[in-house]
Amino acid sequence: MTGTGSSIGSKRTEHLHACAQCDLLVEIPAIIPHRTNVYCPRCHYNIALGHNNAKQHVLALAITALLLMVIACSFDFISFSANGQLRTISLFQTSAELFVQGYFVISILVAAFMFVLPAAYLILLCLIILNSHTGSSDQSSNLSGGLLSSVTMGKWMSYILPWTMSEVFLIGVLVALIKVISMADITLQTSFWAYVIFAPLFTYITSVVDAHRLWGWIDNAA
Amino acid sequence: MPHKSASNPSVNDATHTLSNQPPTPPELHAPSADTAAANGLINCLVCQHLSHATPSINSTQGLNDSQQRCSRCDSALSSRTQNSVQTTLGLLITSMLLYIPANLYPIMRTQLLGETQDSTIIGGIILFIQHQSYFVAAVIFVASVMVPLAKMFALAWLCYSATRPTHIRQYELTRLYRITEFIGKWSMVDIFVVAILVALIQMGGIMSVTAGFAASAFAAVVMLTMISAHQFDTRILWDKLEPE
Repeated sequence: MTGTGSSIGSKRTEHLHACAQCDLLVEIPAIIPHRTNVYCPRCHYNIALGHNNAKQHVLALAITALLLMVIACSFDFISFSANGQLRTISLFQTSAELFVQGYFVISILVAAFMFVLPAAYLILLCLIILNSHTGSSDQSSNLSGGLLSSVTMGKWMSYILPWTMSEVFLIGVLVALIKVISMADITLQTSFWAYVIFAPLFTYITSVVDAHRLWGWIDNAA
Repeated sequence: MPHKSASNPSVNDATHTLSNQPPTPPELHAPSADTAAANGLINCLVCQHLSHATPSINSTQGLNDSQQRCSRCDSALSSRTQNSVQTTLGLLITSMLLYIPANLYPIMRTQLLGETQDSTIIGGIILFIQHQSYFVAAVIFVASVMVPLAKMFALAWLCYSATRPTHIRQYELTRLYRITEFIGKWSMVDIFVVAILVALIQMGGIMSVTAGFAASAFAAVVMLTMISAHQFDTRILWDKLEPE
């Protein structure tokens, strides 16, 4: 598995990969069997995941997730009725209400973690895949209009990824619902169900798009 | 032997200067593992691209690759994250200090028919246990108390191990690091619960919920421990691997 002395002196480093967590040089096979992980032989870091048709698969899932996100934004999230009063909130009100109360920083953080950053990640991912389809080196013909190169978008994606918390937000919603379910009538609206599907889908997409695969697509586009 | 490390501008010297240990002769470490650093390559942490290390003038101060940029994504390259342990410890201590107000101040303020009740994180858990909602109490306890504390202890242990000269368990520590990194964002659950309750329960004078100062402090704790974990470079643990 490990690289040999012959390949190091030359410039041929396409299949040579250094483990991000222990720096061991690993020769990544050109074709990884479907649904198989490649682990670092020394520290067992999960380097890459094999997938036969990752590009189309991920593109389809990312568009699905973006559509779910549009649904989650356009409809009501949860209705809450107690003592004859009804209150219906949208997804954005979860952060807007904090803003109204003067907790500006947390309000912005909540909006970013649960919605803005996951959406940005998916949009950048779609643009990179579509750019790699055209395969043109001419930046102006790319879908991002030449404003952003695939490389820049890939860097942004790697900065965004640790801060996407849609699955954590979903658990937060469930815990909050268990808290209030005894004191009021709760109605779960369309937006809630869209988010319930979106969060696991997003987590699945991020697990398929590892750094090795993503930068392979970016190399195709550039 | 020691005079060699001062004059030889190789990647190995830089890695050992970073770990706060007296420079060891590179002959001991280079053959023990086929690492990128031992072969004069630098791995880009953003795009996983390997670049050839170009030695520069500052090599004796352990800063020899601070100026080099990745040939694919133009990120700043360094063979090992610079001052990794110091940065991690600094952020970790800040988050530990912020964890004190996060527990002392109320995270949420409930107004029920003119009565105001403040609840801290621990107070909320006790309330749920009294109401026999053991599941919610367990979720809040794990997310707000256990995970942040476990993360702080794990990072402190990793920093301590990284400064020891030899005999550390690299594999177990790397696994500990991976768990620490994975559980990082799950502490945000409590902030999200507060955000949803604040949005949902706004019934004017009958019942309303506002956030408290501890929410800001706790969000800062979570974010600082996440950045702290991200700054820790597990590769410095593997540099201490004993040759077989």
